Amino acid sequence: MTRLRSIFAMPAAVLMLVTIAVPAGIVGVYSVLSRGAYGGVELPWTLENYTRLIDPLYGGIFLRSIALAGAATALCILLGFPLALFIARSGTRKNLYLSLVILPFWTSFLIRLYAWMFLLRDTGLINTVLQWLGVIHQPLPLLYNTGAVLLGLVYGFLPFAVLPIYATLEKLDKNLLEAAADLGARPIAVLTRVTLPLCAPGIAAGAILVFVPSLGTYITSDLLGGSKTILIGNLVQNQFTTARDWPFGAAVSIVLMIVAVFLMFTVRRRGEELL
Amino acid sequence: MKRGLAVYAIAIYAFLHLPLLILAIFSVNASRFTAWQGFSLHWYRAMLADRDLLESAGNSLAIAVASTALSTVIGTLAAYALWKRASNWLAGGLYLSLVTPEIVTGVSLLALFQWAFRYVNFRLGMHTVILAHVSFSIAYVVVVVLARLRGFDPALEEAAQDLGSTEFAAFRRVTLPYLAPAVAAAAMLAFTISIDDYVITSLVAGVDSQTLPMVIYAMARRGGSPVLNAVSTTIVVLLGTLVLLSERLRRV
Amino acid sequence: MKRRTLLLGAVASACGRGPRLNVYNWSDYIAPETVPQFERECGVRIHYGTYESNQEMLAQVMSGNSGWDVVFPSGDFIEPMRALELLAPLDHALLPNVSALSPEFQRPPWDPELRWGIPYMHGVTGILYQRSLQPAPASWADLWDARLRGRLTMLDDEPEVLGACLKKRRYSINSATPVELLAARQEALAQKPLLRAYLNAEVRDQAAAGDVLVAQAWAVTAAQAIAAAPGKLAFAFPSEGFPRFADNVAILRESRRVEAAHRWINYLLRPQVAAGIVMATHTASANQEALRYLPSQVRQDPVLYPTPEVLARGEWFQAQSAASQKLRDRLWTEIKSS
Repeated sequence: MTRLRSIFAMPAAVLMLVTIAVPAGIVGVYSVLSRGAYGGVELPWTLENYTRLIDPLYGGIFLRSIALAGAATALCILLGFPLALFIARSGTRKNLYLSLVILPFWTSFLIRLYAWMFLLRDTGLINTVLQWLGVIHQPLPLLYNTGAVLLGLVYGFLPFAVLPIYATLEKLDKNLLEAAADLGARPIAVLTRVTLPLCAPGIAAGAILVFVPSLGTYITSDLLGGSKTILIGNLVQNQFTTARDWPFGAAVSIVLMIVAVFLMFTVRRRGEELL
Repeated sequence: MKRGLAVYAIAIYAFLHLPLLILAIFSVNASRFTAWQGFSLHWYRAMLADRDLLESAGNSLAIAVASTALSTVIGTLAAYALWKRASNWLAGGLYLSLVTPEIVTGVSLLALFQWAFRYVNFRLGMHTVILAHVSFSIAYVVVVVLARLRGFDPALEEAAQDLGSTEFAAFRRVTLPYLAPAVAAAAMLAFTISIDDYVITSLVAGVDSQTLPMVIYAMARRGGSPVLNAVSTTIVVLLGTLVLLSERLRRV
Repeated sequence: MKRRTLLLGAVASACGRGPRLNVYNWSDYIAPETVPQFERECGVRIHYGTYESNQEMLAQVMSGNSGWDVVFPSGDFIEPMRALELLAPLDHALLPNVSALSPEFQRPPWDPELRWGIPYMHGVTGILYQRSLQPAPASWADLWDARLRGRLTMLDDEPEVLGACLKKRRYSINSATPVELLAARQEALAQKPLLRAYLNAEVRDQAAAGDVLVAQAWAVTAAQAIAAAPGKLAFAFPSEGFPRFADNVAILRESRRVEAAHRWINYLLRPQVAAGIVMATHTASANQEALRYLPSQVRQDPVLYPTPEVLARGEWFQAQSAASQKLRDRLWTEIKSS
């Protein structure tokens, strides 16, 4: 009984070791080495890469990234909850409505970001229509700012919030809701005092599923933020490519990974079991 | 409240789908500017004539097929192993792979490859991209297959073994057919993830392995073009169909 | 034309089952017929990739096993790349066409003996702007004007941005003095709130479309943008002085097709080929013989071929010492991160 299980698990385990554990180790080692003259890594050992992160400049980037991810998460939950509610109550059409949510999410994140670039730029559809209607005379700078990045994040990760919330709503015992109504509670009260608290695990799971990728986002801020808005993801990418400062990039990656893992442990205790 | 919710739902669905629809509409716009100038398939023709575009699409397809095949097999086996007995290490590793931001996965793989290439005479190329794609797809496959396994009664396998079959034969003839829809759904999911990946691929791709997302990204950064609208619409339609099929299978 | 290219490419790759040369060049820096014609003549297939900045190219080839054979570094990158042992020495016996270069580029300051790179195209960095903007910008200092908020771009390139800031303060673009560099950083940080984005050649389409009012741009990009939007755009040579750059063809030491690479370089030096590239991409060629094949309005294009008086205000980029480069890279990270 056990042998087959271990054989089956072997390829995945080896792969995880080689592609996750070993690289993490290498990145960890790089993070305490120094940068070569034009790039690359070399001795001596140093903690300078980590102490550099305490500099308010980089602390600012972390805070900005956390704030942006937090805003995206809050918006996704706020916008996603009513939608999840709608789908859970829609009876026979549930699968259709669910598919309509999943569909845009799984089809090319990159293209969906480009769609917003197409709409938001100065000569894009929104500005053209507004100008044609006479509402404005100069194109609005809708693209290349934090707002556009936030829009991109919400647009990209909304389904991540909807699905877990829907999953908990589905499993909700309808009797509880009926009981509350029988006891005289109005629909709004039932919602806020019964449904919402019972959904907490789903909401928590959804929040983490939006927050972590938003924290490490790279292409959203690059395409919609004009590579002016530097977030953690951009910083890491930058250090590993054009800036050629691998040790520093490694330090930032390690910190980012620690944050992600920490959040993962939090949700595993309170949220849905995926694995 | 029900009516309010319905109106709200319509608004959200519009928000989710309109941008892509608009892109599709403008991909058949004869003019290259935002003004509508008549229906035309000109940009699709231009898209098909672009040699670089086609080559990168071919690369993307090859990578996706290879990585889907590998990750589906490895992932299904891993899901079965996890179902039989939970393993904190394996589950933790897979969860970590799901939760780690793409950029971190990408740079750590790049660091791994560059370090390894000092000792082995290889360079970045299709094989490194495929390996990277397999590594991050496995977790998704496991999630989908494991979800299906949770609804499977282990007694069925035990019955088969009591009747004289080996462990592996029991798996092959009893469990696997039951899993088939989930495996197919997971394969399609792995395929779409692989086709769409940009961040990790751009870091570990080599000279001859430029993929479609890399080309799209470069075009988008330059401000986009109507050809990009055509490419986008084509990809969205193809992937969308695949995803719908996958969803159908998952609910079988 | 495209179909013929496809067909010929297919034929060339079919019979040229042999060597394949991997060429890594700047974007929009070659004519459509340059590669297919070379493939036909020499039976060598070319795989052509593009990049947007020297740093991007260096990051790719630094590992020493990137797979590329030929790259096009700017003059100030030749020495660092040579020091990193990334370049293969050139064999002039295989490059008879080198005599076609202009005298200025026969002995360039960064590589007087042309041992490591052959000058390809050159230009300056200046200011690309919409004609509708009055008064027109004429100096780097004009790029700090508050009225440009949100419609201004600078190059996504550390020597260029620091260079412009240094020039605004009347320092040399190649300054290695920490005090001056820190002052330049201050300027860059002061300007950042006005910026729309840091863009290299990508700004061309946005300028032509009217999204961008003023851009720090390479003369090449500017010439291409001006051609794409006739009458709408203009280019200014900043009054405080400006950087000059020249991109060179170089062979990577890791290349296993050195002979074919030399053939490619010699082919690019052919006057007709160079002229063809100039006509297609609006660049300024280092090839003097090629000028004979160009129509007069191209040869006298003020953007690409400015008068000597204008050029006298230009300053070549020089390679930095390792310590200075480290400081500059750090400052650039800080500028981009703020």
